[in-house]
Amino acid sequence: MLIYSRIKSVGAQKQGENRRVVSGVLEDELYAMQCEIAVDWPTLTIESVQTRMKRFTTERCPLASEVFTRAEGWRLDSELDGKIKKELGRMGCRHMAILMVDCCRAVARAELTRELAAALEVDPGLDKKEFVQDFFRRYPELKDYLQLV
Amino acid sequence: MILEYQTNSLATVQPLAQGLWRVTARTEDTLFSAEVILDIMAPALDIRNARIEVKRDALGLTPDLSGVSDKLIGVRVGPGMTKIVRGLIVGETGSARIAELMLEAMEMLVNALTVPELRKVTQSMGKDVVFPHDGPKVFLNDRVIGAEQAAMMASNPRLKDSCVVFRDPT
Repeated sequence: MLIYSRIKSVGAQKQGENRRVVSGVLEDELYAMQCEIAVDWPTLTIESVQTRMKRFTTERCPLASEVFTRAEGWRLDSELDGKIKKELGRMGCRHMAILMVDCCRAVARAELTRELAAALEVDPGLDKKEFVQDFFRRYPELKDYLQLV
Repeated sequence: MILEYQTNSLATVQPLAQGLWRVTARTEDTLFSAEVILDIMAPALDIRNARIEVKRDALGLTPDLSGVSDKLIGVRVGPGMTKIVRGLIVGETGSARIAELMLEAMEMLVNALTVPELRKVTQSMGKDVVFPHDGPKVFLNDRVIGAEQAAMMASNPRLKDSCVVFRDPT
């Protein structure tokens, strides 16, 4: 019998040329959280963050909600995970921070996935490694952020 | 708006015997799918068995990780594990993505072991609450650990300053 399980589910969408939106949920025995983030593209800048601590363990947990919007203005780059975990996780909630890390990375992975699908339609024999290198030439900040490997 | 991309992950903890747990963590998106399975034993919470399986790698970028699992045997869940796991799995021939999945699996055991303790405290010393941002028709938080109890828990050095609950409110 399982004694614990955690799911995280994140979905990303493109809204026009310059806006990417992502929503995520986390649920386990102790916590239920959701967050939605809008990112400006191609500046890779977080425009808006909204969160909801749905289920939690202590009376003080809801206080965490005050810190998450600090991420507005931050950019998707190699520093982002650390900033979210340290500044939002430790000052707010580690579980929401984990969900936000996943949401932000999903925005970047969605872009690569979408561009790859489009490129494969044009050229089914596309060299995928070359495609990835080209993607990183266009978005150098994402090279150390995407964690494709 | 129809979604263009989804990523899903599931981590589970299952007891195999007294003091022995199996943690399974799986992640899945359009291009990539992987699973790690760890058997972890008390009291040291050390990894006794590790399995890594990359089930889908549409970009073909993930290196051969067949030798990595054995290196994880003996690694303990606890302070320092992040550095150790990254040291073993990340690098020229490694995978940061698998390292993160591995660390997530290890963290899930900590969460699993915390559940009964928090349940006990909530039942015995918790307080009945109604939060204004909960509801308005269905309330998910009917009983939680009170602020005073949380402040007492914050004296544990492993918890102190780890999140807003365990920070000094002043």
